[in-house]
Amino acid sequence: MTPGKKNFLNYSYYPGCSLHASGREYDISTQALFKALNLGLKEVPDWFCCGATPAHNVDELLSLSLCAKNLSLADQVEGDLAVACAACFSRLKTTQHHLKEDDTKRQQVETAIAGPASLGKPVKHILEILARDFGLARLEESVKKPLLGLKVAAYYGCLLTRPPEVPELDDCEDPSIMEDILRALGAEPVKWSHRMECCGANFTLSRPGVVLKLSNAILKSAQEAGADCIMVACPLCHGNLDIRQESINKYGTPEGSLMGNIFGSDYIPGSEDGPRREMPIFYVTQLAALAMGVPTDKLGLESVIVDPRPLLNEKDLL
Amino acid sequence: MKNKLMHLSNETMNVGFVKKVEALSGTSVRRCFQCGKCSAGCPMTAFMEHPPNRVVRLLQLGQGARVLAGRSIWYCASCETCTTRCPNKVNLAAIMDALRKLSWDADGPSKESYVQLANRLFIENIRTYGRQYELRLGAAFNMKSGQFLKDLMLGPKLLSRGKMKLFHQKNKNLPEIEAIFNRIEEMRKKGEAL
Repeated sequence: MTPGKKNFLNYSYYPGCSLHASGREYDISTQALFKALNLGLKEVPDWFCCGATPAHNVDELLSLSLCAKNLSLADQVEGDLAVACAACFSRLKTTQHHLKEDDTKRQQVETAIAGPASLGKPVKHILEILARDFGLARLEESVKKPLLGLKVAAYYGCLLTRPPEVPELDDCEDPSIMEDILRALGAEPVKWSHRMECCGANFTLSRPGVVLKLSNAILKSAQEAGADCIMVACPLCHGNLDIRQESINKYGTPEGSLMGNIFGSDYIPGSEDGPRREMPIFYVTQLAALAMGVPTDKLGLESVIVDPRPLLNEKDLL
Repeated sequence: MKNKLMHLSNETMNVGFVKKVEALSGTSVRRCFQCGKCSAGCPMTAFMEHPPNRVVRLLQLGQGARVLAGRSIWYCASCETCTTRCPNKVNLAAIMDALRKLSWDADGPSKESYVQLANRLFIENIRTYGRQYELRLGAAFNMKSGQFLKDLMLGPKLLSRGKMKLFHQKNKNLPEIEAIFNRIEEMRKKGEAL
Protein backbone atom coordinates (compact mmCIF):
# COMPACT_ATOMS: atom_id res chain seq x y z
CA MET A 1 0.00 0.00 0.00
CA THR A 2 1.34 3.44 -0.85
CA PRO A 3 1.55 5.66 2.19
CA GLY A 4 -0.29 8.90 1.75
CA LYS A 5 -2.33 11.46 3.61
CA LYS A 6 -5.58 9.88 2.58
CA ASN A 7 -6.75 6.90 4.60
CA PHE A 8 -7.20 3.59 2.84
CA LEU A 9 -10.70 3.27 4.33
CA ASN A 10 -12.65 5.22 6.93
CA TYR A 11 -14.76 3.77 9.70
CA SER A 12 -17.08 5.03 12.37
CA TYR A 13 -16.29 3.37 15.69
CA TYR A 14 -18.48 1.98 18.47
CA PRO A 15 -16.06 0.86 21.20
CA GLY A 16 -18.61 -0.23 23.81
CA CYS A 17 -18.44 0.17 27.59
CA SER A 18 -15.77 -2.45 28.28
CA LEU A 19 -13.26 -0.81 25.96
CA HIS A 20 -13.35 2.30 28.08
CA ALA A 21 -12.75 0.31 31.27
CA SER A 22 -11.74 -3.32 31.81
CA GLY A 23 -10.86 -3.81 28.16
CA ARG A 24 -8.96 -0.56 27.69
CA GLU A 25 -5.97 -2.26 26.06
CA TYR A 26 -8.33 -3.47 23.30
CA ASP A 27 -9.26 0.17 22.59
CA ILE A 28 -5.63 1.35 22.77
CA SER A 29 -4.36 -1.38 20.45
CA THR A 30 -7.28 -1.02 18.01
CA GLN A 31 -6.54 2.70 17.58
CA ALA A 32 -2.81 2.01 17.20
CA LEU A 33 -3.38 -0.77 14.67
CA PHE A 34 -5.80 1.25 12.54
CA LYS A 35 -3.33 4.13 12.46
CA ALA A 36 -0.52 1.80 11.43
CA LEU A 37 -2.67 0.33 8.63
CA ASN A 38 -3.81 3.75 7.41
CA LEU A 39 -7.41 3.07 8.34
CA GLY A 40 -9.50 5.96 9.63
CA LEU A 41 -11.38 5.42 12.89
CA LYS A 42 -13.74 8.02 14.34
CA GLU A 43 -15.70 7.38 17.50
CA VAL A 44 -19.47 7.87 17.42
CA PRO A 45 -20.18 10.89 19.68
CA ASP A 46 -21.97 10.07 22.93
CA TRP A 47 -22.74 6.47 22.12
CA PHE A 48 -24.23 4.58 25.07
CA CYS A 49 -24.50 1.01 26.33
CA CYS A 50 -26.04 -1.47 23.87
CA GLY A 51 -27.66 -3.34 26.77
CA ALA A 52 -25.45 -6.38 26.19
CA THR A 53 -26.75 -9.70 27.50
CA PRO A 54 -28.65 -8.47 30.61
CA ALA A 55 -30.99 -6.23 28.60
CA HIS A 56 -32.10 -8.80 26.03
CA ASN A 57 -32.25 -11.44 28.76
CA VAL A 58 -35.18 -9.78 30.45
CA ASP A 59 -36.46 -7.19 27.98
CA GLU A 60 -35.93 -7.69 24.27
CA LEU A 61 -37.74 -4.49 23.28
CA LEU A 62 -35.44 -2.43 25.50
CA SER A 63 -32.38 -4.11 24.01
CA LEU A 64 -33.56 -3.51 20.43
CA SER A 65 -34.41 0.12 21.20
CA LEU A 66 -31.05 0.89 22.83
CA CYS A 67 -29.23 -0.63 19.85
CA ALA A 68 -31.47 1.11 17.29
CA LYS A 69 -30.79 4.48 18.90
CA ASN A 70 -27.04 3.79 18.87
CA LEU A 71 -27.26 2.81 15.20
CA SER A 72 -28.91 6.11 14.37
CA LEU A 73 -26.25 7.98 16.38
CA ALA A 74 -23.66 6.17 14.27
CA ASP A 75 -25.10 7.80 11.15
CA GLN A 76 -23.48 11.08 12.24
CA VAL A 77 -20.07 9.65 11.38
CA GLU A 78 -19.10 8.48 7.92
CA GLY A 79 -17.99 4.97 7.10
CA ASP A 80 -19.09 1.47 8.05
CA LEU A 81 -19.49 0.91 11.79
CA ALA A 82 -16.42 -0.79 13.27
CA VAL A 83 -17.20 -2.72 16.46
CA ALA A 84 -14.54 -4.36 18.60
CA CYS A 85 -16.61 -6.01 21.35
CA ALA A 86 -18.21 -9.30 20.34
CA ALA A 87 -21.28 -8.66 22.52
CA CYS A 88 -21.93 -5.17 21.10
CA PHE A 89 -21.32 -6.55 17.61
CA SER A 90 -23.83 -9.34 18.18
CA ARG A 91 -26.49 -7.04 19.66
CA LEU A 92 -26.18 -4.38 16.93
CA LYS A 93 -26.29 -6.99 14.16
CA THR A 94 -29.20 -8.81 15.81
CA THR A 95 -31.13 -5.55 16.01
CA GLN A 96 -30.59 -4.84 12.32
CA HIS A 97 -31.60 -8.40 11.45
CA HIS A 98 -34.76 -8.45 13.61
CA LEU A 99 -36.00 -5.01 12.64
CA LYS A 100 -35.54 -5.72 8.93
CA GLU A 101 -37.57 -8.93 9.23
CA ASP A 102 -40.26 -7.97 11.71
CA ASP A 103 -42.43 -4.92 10.96
CA THR A 104 -44.31 -5.02 14.28
CA LYS A 105 -41.07 -4.94 16.25
CA ARG A 106 -39.73 -2.17 14.05
CA GLN A 107 -42.81 -0.03 14.68
CA GLN A 108 -42.53 -0.59 18.45
CA VAL A 109 -38.86 0.31 18.42
CA GLU A 110 -39.52 3.41 16.31
CA THR A 111 -42.10 4.52 18.86
CA ALA A 112 -39.60 3.90 21.66
CA ILE A 113 -36.80 5.91 20.07
CA ALA A 114 -39.26 8.47 18.60
CA GLY A 115 -37.69 8.33 15.16
CA PRO A 116 -37.03 6.07 12.22
CA ALA A 117 -34.84 3.01 12.78
CA SER A 118 -31.72 3.38 10.68
CA LEU A 119 -30.68 -0.05 9.46
CA GLY A 120 -28.59 0.67 6.40
CA LYS A 121 -25.08 1.07 7.81
CA PRO A 122 -23.00 -2.12 7.66
CA VAL A 123 -21.85 -3.20 11.12
CA LYS A 124 -18.44 -4.86 10.99
CA HIS A 125 -16.30 -6.60 13.56
CA ILE A 126 -12.58 -5.75 13.65
CA LEU A 127 -11.78 -9.30 12.44
CA GLU A 128 -13.94 -8.74 9.36
CA ILE A 129 -12.26 -5.42 8.63
CA LEU A 130 -8.79 -6.95 8.88
CA ALA A 131 -9.48 -10.14 6.93
CA ARG A 132 -11.93 -8.87 4.29
CA ASP A 133 -11.97 -5.06 3.90
CA PHE A 134 -8.24 -4.66 4.34
CA GLY A 135 -7.57 -8.14 3.06
CA LEU A 136 -5.31 -10.97 4.19
CA ALA A 137 -2.82 -10.47 1.37
CA ARG A 138 -2.43 -6.78 2.13
CA LEU A 139 -2.21 -7.57 5.84
CA GLU A 140 0.62 -10.02 5.16
CA GLU A 141 2.44 -7.44 3.05
CA SER A 142 2.17 -4.83 5.81
CA VAL A 143 3.80 -7.04 8.44
CA LYS A 144 7.09 -5.57 9.64
CA LYS A 145 7.86 -7.95 12.49
CA PRO A 146 6.40 -11.41 11.81
CA LEU A 147 5.33 -13.27 14.94
CA LEU A 148 7.57 -16.23 14.17
CA GLY A 149 7.49 -19.13 16.57
CA LEU A 150 4.48 -17.86 18.52
CA LYS A 151 1.95 -20.65 18.99
CA VAL A 152 -1.47 -19.12 19.44
CA ALA A 153 -4.81 -20.67 20.36
CA ALA A 154 -7.47 -18.63 18.54
CA TYR A 155 -10.52 -18.38 20.79
CA TYR A 156 -13.83 -17.37 19.16
CA GLY A 157 -16.25 -17.75 22.03
CA CYS A 158 -19.98 -17.52 21.44
CA LEU A 159 -21.16 -14.34 19.87
CA LEU A 160 -18.82 -13.84 16.92
CA THR A 161 -20.39 -16.62 14.88
CA ARG A 162 -23.73 -17.52 16.46
CA PRO A 163 -26.56 -17.78 15.50
CA PRO A 164 -25.57 -18.43 11.86
CA GLU A 165 -28.01 -16.02 10.20
CA VAL A 166 -27.04 -12.99 12.31
CA PRO A 167 -23.29 -12.20 12.58
CA GLU A 168 -22.44 -13.48 9.08
CA LEU A 169 -18.80 -13.38 10.12
CA ASP A 170 -17.76 -16.93 9.37
CA ASP A 171 -18.93 -20.55 9.55
CA CYS A 172 -20.88 -21.07 12.78
CA GLU A 173 -19.25 -24.40 13.72
CA ASP A 174 -15.86 -24.31 12.01
CA PRO A 175 -14.71 -20.72 11.49
CA SER A 176 -11.19 -19.90 10.33
CA ILE A 177 -11.03 -16.08 10.18
CA MET A 178 -8.87 -15.80 13.32
CA GLU A 179 -6.47 -18.52 12.20
CA ASP A 180 -6.19 -16.86 8.76
CA ILE A 181 -5.25 -13.57 10.38
CA LEU A 182 -2.71 -15.31 12.63
CA ARG A 183 -1.05 -16.97 9.64
CA ALA A 184 -0.89 -13.64 7.84
CA LEU A 185 0.89 -12.21 10.89
CA GLY A 186 3.45 -15.01 10.78
CA ALA A 187 2.21 -16.74 13.94
CA GLU A 188 1.33 -20.40 14.23
CA PRO A 189 -2.31 -21.17 15.13
CA VAL A 190 -2.69 -24.42 17.10
CA LYS A 191 -5.48 -26.95 16.66
CA TRP A 192 -7.53 -27.22 19.83
CA SER A 193 -10.89 -28.30 21.11
CA HIS A 194 -12.38 -25.39 23.03
CA ARG A 195 -12.26 -22.49 20.59
CA MET A 196 -16.05 -22.21 20.33
CA GLU A 197 -16.96 -23.01 23.94
CA CYS A 198 -18.51 -20.45 26.29
CA CYS A 199 -16.22 -18.80 28.89
CA GLY A 200 -19.08 -18.01 31.28
CA ALA A 201 -19.56 -14.49 29.94
CA ASN A 202 -21.37 -12.10 32.24
CA PHE A 203 -21.72 -14.63 35.07
CA THR A 204 -18.42 -13.12 36.18
CA LEU A 205 -20.44 -10.68 38.29
CA SER A 206 -23.26 -12.85 39.55
CA ARG A 207 -21.85 -16.40 39.64
CA PRO A 208 -18.05 -16.38 39.30
CA GLY A 209 -18.01 -20.12 40.04
CA VAL A 210 -19.55 -20.69 36.60
CA VAL A 211 -16.77 -18.68 34.95
CA LEU A 212 -14.09 -20.58 36.88
CA LYS A 213 -15.43 -23.92 35.69
CA LEU A 214 -15.89 -23.00 32.03
CA SER A 215 -12.79 -20.84 31.63
CA ASN A 216 -10.71 -23.49 33.36
CA ALA A 217 -11.66 -25.98 30.64
CA ILE A 218 -10.66 -23.48 27.95
CA LEU A 219 -7.27 -22.68 29.51
CA LYS A 220 -6.58 -26.37 30.06
CA SER A 221 -7.43 -27.28 26.48
CA ALA A 222 -5.23 -24.49 25.07
CA GLN A 223 -2.31 -25.61 27.19
CA GLU A 224 -2.72 -29.25 26.21
CA ALA A 225 -2.65 -28.21 22.55
CA GLY A 226 0.75 -26.64 23.14
CA ALA A 227 -0.29 -23.01 22.80
CA ASP A 228 1.93 -20.25 24.22
CA CYS A 229 -0.99 -17.87 24.50
CA ILE A 230 -4.64 -17.35 23.58
CA MET A 231 -5.97 -14.74 21.17
CA VAL A 232 -9.44 -13.29 21.72
CA ALA A 233 -11.65 -10.68 20.07
CA CYS A 234 -14.06 -9.99 22.94
CA PRO A 235 -13.45 -8.00 26.14
CA LEU A 236 -15.64 -10.35 28.18
CA CYS A 237 -13.73 -13.45 27.11
CA HIS A 238 -10.52 -11.57 27.87
CA GLY A 239 -11.74 -10.54 31.30
CA ASN A 240 -12.71 -14.07 32.23
CA LEU A 241 -9.57 -15.75 30.91
CA ASP A 242 -7.14 -13.06 32.07
CA ILE A 243 -8.51 -11.43 35.23
CA ARG A 244 -9.83 -14.71 36.68
CA GLN A 245 -6.86 -16.82 35.59
CA GLU A 246 -4.98 -16.52 38.86
CA SER A 247 -7.87 -17.85 40.92
CA ILE A 248 -8.51 -20.61 38.37
CA ASN A 249 -4.88 -21.74 38.46
CA LYS A 250 -4.55 -21.50 42.22
CA TYR A 251 -7.81 -22.84 43.41
CA GLY A 252 -9.25 -24.99 40.68
CA THR A 253 -12.98 -24.75 40.23
CA PRO A 254 -14.87 -25.06 43.49
CA GLU A 255 -18.65 -24.95 43.59
CA GLY A 256 -20.52 -22.61 45.91
CA SER A 257 -20.49 -23.13 49.68
CA LEU A 258 -21.03 -21.10 52.85
CA MET A 259 -17.50 -19.68 52.57
CA GLY A 260 -18.20 -19.01 48.92
CA ASN A 261 -21.24 -16.96 49.84
CA ILE A 262 -19.15 -14.68 52.00
CA PHE A 263 -15.99 -14.45 49.90
CA GLY A 264 -17.45 -15.00 46.44
CA SER A 265 -16.87 -18.49 45.19
CA ASP A 266 -13.37 -17.95 43.83
CA TYR A 267 -11.52 -17.67 47.09
CA ILE A 268 -12.10 -21.17 48.42
CA PRO A 269 -8.96 -23.31 48.37
CA GLY A 270 -9.51 -26.77 46.95
CA SER A 271 -7.43 -27.31 43.87
CA GLU A 272 -8.42 -29.83 41.22
CA ASP A 273 -5.74 -29.45 38.62
CA GLY A 274 -3.79 -26.28 39.38
CA PRO A 275 -1.22 -24.83 39.69
CA ARG A 276 -0.48 -24.40 36.07
CA ARG A 277 1.68 -22.34 33.72
CA GLU A 278 0.42 -18.80 33.18
CA MET A 279 -1.20 -18.29 29.82
CA PRO A 280 -1.10 -14.72 28.46
CA ILE A 281 -4.29 -13.60 26.71
CA PHE A 282 -3.94 -11.23 23.75
CA TYR A 283 -6.48 -9.24 21.82
CA VAL A 284 -6.27 -9.76 18.07
CA THR A 285 -5.43 -6.07 17.70
CA GLN A 286 -2.50 -6.35 20.12
CA LEU A 287 -0.89 -9.17 18.13
CA ALA A 288 -1.63 -7.50 14.80
CA ALA A 289 -0.26 -4.13 15.95
CA LEU A 290 2.85 -5.87 17.32
CA ALA A 291 3.42 -7.49 13.92
CA MET A 292 2.93 -4.11 12.19
CA GLY A 293 5.84 -2.75 14.18
CA VAL A 294 3.82 -0.52 16.52
CA PRO A 295 6.03 0.33 19.55
CA THR A 296 5.30 -2.12 22.37
CA ASP A 297 4.44 0.63 24.83
CA LYS A 298 1.44 1.53 22.67
CA LEU A 299 -0.26 -1.87 22.88
CA GLY A 300 -1.60 -1.61 26.41
CA LEU A 301 0.47 -4.64 27.46
CA GLU A 302 1.05 -3.15 30.91
CA SER A 303 -2.64 -3.14 31.85
CA VAL A 304 -3.16 -6.87 31.31
CA ILE A 305 -3.19 -8.98 34.50
CA VAL A 306 -1.25 -12.02 33.23
CA ASP A 307 1.90 -10.24 32.05
CA PRO A 308 2.58 -11.21 28.41
CA ARG A 309 6.00 -9.52 28.28
CA PRO A 310 8.08 -12.48 29.51
CA LEU A 311 6.63 -14.64 26.70
CA LEU A 312 7.23 -11.96 24.07
CA ASN A 313 10.76 -11.51 25.38
CA GLU A 314 11.40 -15.24 25.17
CA LYS A 315 10.21 -15.24 21.55
CA ASP A 316 12.29 -12.16 20.81
CA LEU A 317 9.24 -10.11 19.86
CA LEU A 318 9.45 -7.24 22.31
CA MET B 1 -42.12 -31.72 42.59
CA LYS B 2 -39.56 -32.80 40.02
CA ASN B 3 -40.02 -36.53 40.54
CA LYS B 4 -43.75 -36.58 41.03
CA LEU B 5 -45.95 -38.09 38.34
CA MET B 6 -47.34 -35.50 36.03
CA HIS B 7 -51.10 -35.60 35.40
CA LEU B 8 -52.14 -33.66 32.34
CA SER B 9 -55.55 -32.04 32.29
CA ASN B 10 -57.09 -28.64 31.68
CA GLU B 11 -56.42 -27.83 35.34
CA THR B 12 -52.72 -28.73 35.34
CA MET B 13 -51.83 -27.34 31.93
CA ASN B 14 -51.38 -23.62 31.36
CA VAL B 15 -51.62 -23.27 27.59
CA GLY B 16 -52.08 -19.49 27.76
CA PHE B 17 -48.60 -19.15 29.24
CA VAL B 18 -47.05 -21.18 26.44
CA LYS B 19 -48.81 -19.00 23.87
CA LYS B 20 -47.31 -15.92 25.53
CA VAL B 21 -43.84 -17.47 25.35
CA GLU B 22 -44.37 -18.26 21.68
CA ALA B 23 -45.58 -14.73 20.92
CA LEU B 24 -42.66 -13.11 22.75
CA SER B 25 -40.00 -15.37 21.26
CA GLY B 26 -41.46 -15.62 17.77
CA THR B 27 -40.80 -19.36 17.74
CA SER B 28 -42.98 -22.43 18.19
CA VAL B 29 -42.31 -25.00 20.92
CA ARG B 30 -44.39 -27.53 18.96
CA ARG B 31 -41.64 -27.84 16.36
CA CYS B 32 -39.35 -29.59 18.87
CA PHE B 33 -39.08 -33.39 18.51
CA GLN B 34 -36.69 -33.88 21.43
CA CYS B 35 -33.51 -34.81 19.60
CA GLY B 36 -31.53 -33.26 22.46
CA LYS B 37 -28.88 -31.48 20.40
CA CYS B 38 -29.50 -28.28 22.35
CA SER B 39 -28.71 -29.92 25.67
CA ALA B 40 -25.74 -31.79 24.22
CA GLY B 41 -24.12 -28.52 23.18
CA CYS B 42 -25.21 -26.41 26.15
CA PRO B 43 -22.25 -25.34 28.33
CA MET B 44 -24.52 -24.71 31.31
CA THR B 45 -26.47 -27.99 31.71
CA ALA B 46 -24.31 -28.86 34.73
CA PHE B 47 -25.91 -25.95 36.56
CA MET B 48 -29.51 -26.55 35.43
CA GLU B 49 -32.15 -28.84 36.90
CA HIS B 50 -34.02 -28.79 33.59
CA PRO B 51 -31.67 -28.99 30.58
CA PRO B 52 -32.81 -27.00 27.52
CA ASN B 53 -34.62 -29.84 25.74
CA ARG B 54 -36.61 -30.57 28.90
CA VAL B 55 -37.54 -26.90 29.24
CA VAL B 56 -39.13 -27.13 25.79
CA ARG B 57 -40.81 -30.46 26.65
CA LEU B 58 -42.29 -28.95 29.81
CA LEU B 59 -43.60 -26.04 27.75
CA GLN B 60 -45.15 -28.45 25.26
CA LEU B 61 -46.96 -30.03 28.20
CA GLY B 62 -48.13 -26.64 29.51
CA GLN B 63 -45.89 -26.79 32.60
CA GLY B 64 -44.52 -23.26 32.51
CA ALA B 65 -44.73 -22.87 36.29
CA ARG B 66 -42.30 -25.76 36.79
CA VAL B 67 -39.78 -24.10 34.51
CA LEU B 68 -40.05 -20.71 36.20
CA ALA B 69 -39.72 -22.20 39.67
CA GLY B 70 -36.25 -23.54 38.85
CA ARG B 71 -32.95 -21.86 38.15
CA SER B 72 -32.46 -23.14 34.59
CA ILE B 73 -33.56 -19.99 32.80
CA TRP B 74 -31.25 -17.79 34.87
CA TYR B 75 -28.28 -20.06 34.25
CA CYS B 76 -28.60 -19.82 30.47
CA ALA B 77 -25.54 -17.92 29.23
CA SER B 78 -27.19 -16.81 25.95
CA CYS B 79 -24.35 -18.41 24.00
CA GLU B 80 -26.88 -19.38 21.28
CA THR B 81 -25.39 -22.83 20.70
CA CYS B 82 -28.88 -24.38 21.03
CA THR B 83 -30.43 -22.05 18.45
CA THR B 84 -27.52 -22.63 16.08
CA ARG B 85 -27.75 -26.42 16.22
CA CYS B 86 -31.52 -27.00 16.34
CA PRO B 87 -32.50 -29.03 13.27
CA ASN B 88 -36.10 -27.82 13.51
CA LYS B 89 -35.31 -24.13 13.87
CA VAL B 90 -36.66 -23.77 17.39
CA ASN B 91 -35.07 -20.55 18.62
CA LEU B 92 -34.36 -21.77 22.13
CA ALA B 93 -32.27 -18.73 23.09
CA ALA B 94 -35.30 -16.54 22.31
CA ILE B 95 -37.55 -18.87 24.34
CA MET B 96 -35.16 -18.46 27.29
CA ASP B 97 -35.33 -14.66 26.86
CA ALA B 98 -39.14 -14.81 26.80
CA LEU B 99 -39.27 -17.01 29.92
CA ARG B 100 -36.93 -14.70 31.79
CA LYS B 101 -39.02 -11.70 30.81
CA LEU B 102 -42.25 -13.35 32.00
CA SER B 103 -40.62 -14.42 35.27
CA TRP B 104 -39.08 -10.93 35.67
CA ASP B 105 -42.37 -9.11 35.05
CA ALA B 106 -44.31 -11.35 37.40
CA ASP B 107 -41.51 -11.10 39.98
CA GLY B 108 -42.21 -14.80 40.26
CA PRO B 109 -40.52 -17.44 42.37
CA SER B 110 -37.14 -18.65 41.23
CA LYS B 111 -34.24 -20.42 42.89
CA GLU B 112 -31.82 -17.91 41.42
CA SER B 113 -31.56 -14.39 42.76
CA TYR B 114 -27.93 -13.35 42.09
CA VAL B 115 -28.25 -13.40 38.32
CA GLN B 116 -31.48 -11.42 38.53
CA LEU B 117 -29.84 -8.91 40.84
CA ALA B 118 -26.89 -8.50 38.46
CA ASN B 119 -29.24 -7.97 35.51
CA ARG B 120 -31.25 -5.40 37.43
CA LEU B 121 -28.14 -3.43 38.44
CA PHE B 122 -26.77 -3.58 34.90
CA ILE B 123 -29.95 -2.10 33.44
CA GLU B 124 -30.16 0.50 36.22
CA ASN B 125 -26.62 1.54 35.31
CA ILE B 126 -27.67 2.21 31.71
CA ARG B 127 -30.54 4.39 32.86
CA THR B 128 -28.45 6.33 35.38
CA TYR B 129 -25.09 6.68 33.63
CA GLY B 130 -25.64 5.78 29.95
CA ARG B 131 -22.57 3.57 29.91
CA GLN B 132 -21.60 0.82 32.30
CA TYR B 133 -19.87 2.04 35.45
CA GLU B 134 -18.13 -1.11 36.58
CA LEU B 135 -17.04 0.05 40.02
CA ARG B 136 -20.61 0.83 40.98
CA LEU B 137 -21.84 -2.39 39.40
CA GLY B 138 -19.45 -4.49 41.48
CA ALA B 139 -19.92 -2.51 44.70
CA ALA B 140 -23.72 -2.47 44.48
CA PHE B 141 -23.79 -6.19 43.72
CA ASN B 142 -21.65 -7.01 46.76
CA MET B 143 -23.72 -4.83 49.08
CA LYS B 144 -27.09 -6.11 47.88
CA SER B 145 -26.10 -9.78 47.66
CA GLY B 146 -24.42 -9.75 51.07
CA GLN B 147 -21.14 -11.06 49.59
CA PHE B 148 -19.25 -8.10 50.99
CA LEU B 149 -15.78 -9.47 50.33
CA LYS B 150 -16.40 -10.94 46.88
CA ASP B 151 -13.58 -10.12 44.46
CA LEU B 152 -12.27 -7.52 46.88
CA MET B 153 -8.70 -8.49 46.02
CA LEU B 154 -9.37 -7.79 42.34
CA GLY B 155 -10.36 -4.15 42.99
CA PRO B 156 -6.86 -2.69 43.56
CA LYS B 157 -5.43 -4.74 40.68
CA LEU B 158 -8.02 -3.42 38.24
CA LEU B 159 -7.83 0.16 39.52
CA SER B 160 -4.04 0.31 39.38
CA ARG B 161 -4.05 -0.92 35.77
CA GLY B 162 -6.70 1.56 34.72
CA LYS B 163 -9.12 -1.31 34.08
CA MET B 164 -11.68 0.15 36.44
CA LYS B 165 -12.50 3.84 36.59
CA LEU B 166 -13.21 5.63 39.87
CA PHE B 167 -15.73 7.95 38.24
CA HIS B 168 -18.38 7.36 35.64
CA GLN B 169 -18.23 8.84 32.14
CA LYS B 170 -20.56 11.67 31.22
CA ASN B 171 -23.04 11.16 28.41
CA LYS B 172 -25.07 13.80 26.60
CA ASN B 173 -27.75 11.33 25.62
CA LEU B 174 -28.94 10.60 29.16
CA PRO B 175 -32.31 12.40 28.67
CA GLU B 176 -32.85 10.41 25.48
CA ILE B 177 -32.09 7.13 27.28
CA GLU B 178 -34.55 8.01 30.03
CA ALA B 179 -37.14 8.83 27.35
CA ILE B 180 -36.63 5.40 25.72
CA PHE B 181 -37.26 3.66 29.05
CA ASN B 182 -40.36 5.81 29.65
CA ARG B 183 -41.81 5.32 26.16
CA ILE B 184 -41.45 1.55 26.47
CA GLU B 185 -43.21 1.60 29.84
CA GLU B 186 -45.99 3.72 28.33
CA MET B 187 -46.43 1.39 25.36
CA ARG B 188 -46.76 -1.55 27.73
CA LYS B 189 -49.32 0.29 29.85
CA LYS B 190 -51.40 0.99 26.75
CA GLY B 191 -51.05 -2.64 25.69
CA GLU B 192 -49.25 -1.72 22.48
CA ALA B 193 -46.25 -3.92 23.24
CA LEU B 194 -45.62 -7.14 25.12
